[in-house]
Amino acid sequence: MAEGRYVYCVAESNDRLDLGRVGIEGSQVYTIPYKDLCAVVHNCPAQPYESKDKKVVESWVIAHEETIETAWKRLGTVLPLGFDTIIKTDEENPEEVVRAWLKEDYQSLKEKLNKIKGKVEYGVQVSWDTKIIARELIEKNFELKRLHEEIKSKPRGMAYMYRQKLEKLIRGRLEKEAERCFKEFYERIKGCTNEVKVEKLKKEDEPRQMLMNLSCLADKDDKTLGDELEKINNRESFFVRFTGPWPPYSFV
Amino acid sequence: MEPEKKWKSRATLVDLLDRVFDKGVVIHADLIISVAGVPLIGVNLRAALAGMETMLKYGIMQDMDAKTRMWEAQHRKNKEVTLLEEEEIILKIFGSYYYSKGIYRAWKSGYFYLTNFRLLLYQQDIAEVVFQTPLEKMIAIKIRREKSFTGKDKDIIYLALEGERVARLDVLQTQEFIEKLRDLEGKIGVALDGELPAEELDETTNNFVMDGERICCRGKIWHLMPKSGIMAEIWKPGYLYLTNKRLYWWYEFEGKILFQVPIDKITGAIQERRNLSAVLTDKKVLDVIYYSNNGSKIVASFSGKEIEEWQKALNKMIAKEGNLIEDKEIETCPQCGKKAPVKELLEKGCPRCGWVSPRLKKTPVVST
Repeated sequence: MAEGRYVYCVAESNDRLDLGRVGIEGSQVYTIPYKDLCAVVHNCPAQPYESKDKKVVESWVIAHEETIETAWKRLGTVLPLGFDTIIKTDEENPEEVVRAWLKEDYQSLKEKLNKIKGKVEYGVQVSWDTKIIARELIEKNFELKRLHEEIKSKPRGMAYMYRQKLEKLIRGRLEKEAERCFKEFYERIKGCTNEVKVEKLKKEDEPRQMLMNLSCLADKDDKTLGDELEKINNRESFFVRFTGPWPPYSFV
Repeated sequence: MEPEKKWKSRATLVDLLDRVFDKGVVIHADLIISVAGVPLIGVNLRAALAGMETMLKYGIMQDMDAKTRMWEAQHRKNKEVTLLEEEEIILKIFGSYYYSKGIYRAWKSGYFYLTNFRLLLYQQDIAEVVFQTPLEKMIAIKIRREKSFTGKDKDIIYLALEGERVARLDVLQTQEFIEKLRDLEGKIGVALDGELPAEELDETTNNFVMDGERICCRGKIWHLMPKSGIMAEIWKPGYLYLTNKRLYWWYEFEGKILFQVPIDKITGAIQERRNLSAVLTDKKVLDVIYYSNNGSKIVASFSGKEIEEWQKALNKMIAKEGNLIEDKEIETCPQCGKKAPVKELLEKGCPRCGWVSPRLKKTPVVST
């Protein structure tokens, strides 16, 4: 079976370092240097890691992340790679292929490293409780409130139609309100970070609903993002999930 | 607020998976091991996250879908009607047959096959024989000029069959068809000189149908007559007609239409079980909800044997009418999850993150 090198990340170091057996399934992790850059790798057969067992995949992914964090601590800024990136190498000189890649992409790798130097990534997800928000909307809006009251006095068939109408109206208002909140929070979060990426929304358990899912690039040790998120989290019926610091996966 | 550290919880693990599978520095594809440029595990997990429907909708698996459809189409095209032993085709001609069963009434089209044994209509698309009769069972034939729903006059063939049944046929070349039928007369014991039986079609129906109107469904049904003057509301028997333009109920006893509403005023049809009277308890009732001329919502109630069928037929007709509303259907952007009209998403891309459908990318751009 042909050999390959599983690549975790690229870091700034011209040393050949041994990071120990910290990789996926306890693989020996080390660096392959080219000029002042190095690739953090382990040796593996030239075939992707794959499994139908979710637990196994998760343990690999966690090992992938932990290895990158180890390198991050020891070597400073790192450019993380996605899971299962394996460089095909030739038999005689496997490391040369990795070095050739570093050489060829040297310029762009350096630029990326400079961009994220001293910075970390955070995941920010803001959700709200649609049930509470809908109740507030009804309270605040005369038309909705009237409709809501009327339902109680209607016979079954009519009440059904009224409920349909009310639900439709509330859905429309929620959409508008969500759009408004998105704009407001986005501006506020953008103000205290270097860069923001809008990610796909996730489904949450009813009645919670995700309003925004962002990846943010911020200066290490900068607390302003946390403070701003605290304010949003303190609002009634809003919830903030704040994760990290991650290696800057989303900004490379 | 302090950030949550890593994969301590289920939710943060998902956050990690999102990053590790979809992001990070990308190496030139020639250098790395992958299947079609995508790591295998990434594909598996992603497939579990996005529903097949959504993937098809945004054209991700379009090629495969198109291939499957093509195969199916070819497969069906090859299907010819299966003939009996020693059966020979005398004439194959395109046409349609007026099919009526229960409340459903429609012209079904396909190829008429006239053979030395029988006359049949075969629908190739669904490989189904819709109508057939042995030649000996045909007893009379008559051509009538009728106004079709397209507004043009058409020659409709009324073919009387043994057992008081009359089939209505519409073929592309009426004359040729009749000639071939006449040719068979006498040869194989076919006689077409009989009289058409008493009119099957209720003439009353035609009196109420307007120009360009086509009856889709018709059936016996009870209708709850609303209160009028000193008369309390009361259930009365009659016939309900669903056409491409309106829904109307014909009261047999008085020979009058006592209820009618245009399709575009109907908002829905729901089913309920109710007591109709002290004796008739727990009966299925169809409530048709519609807007009256002054804009208020009104419910008209019907009860009978074929409530489910009526509900289906009505909702189908409303859906057709409501095409415009469907255009406003909302979808979420597959990249950032922004809610936007489907049309806008598919034709222009996402207004928030700039995502563009792969279908759009495929279409060559013609510069003007």
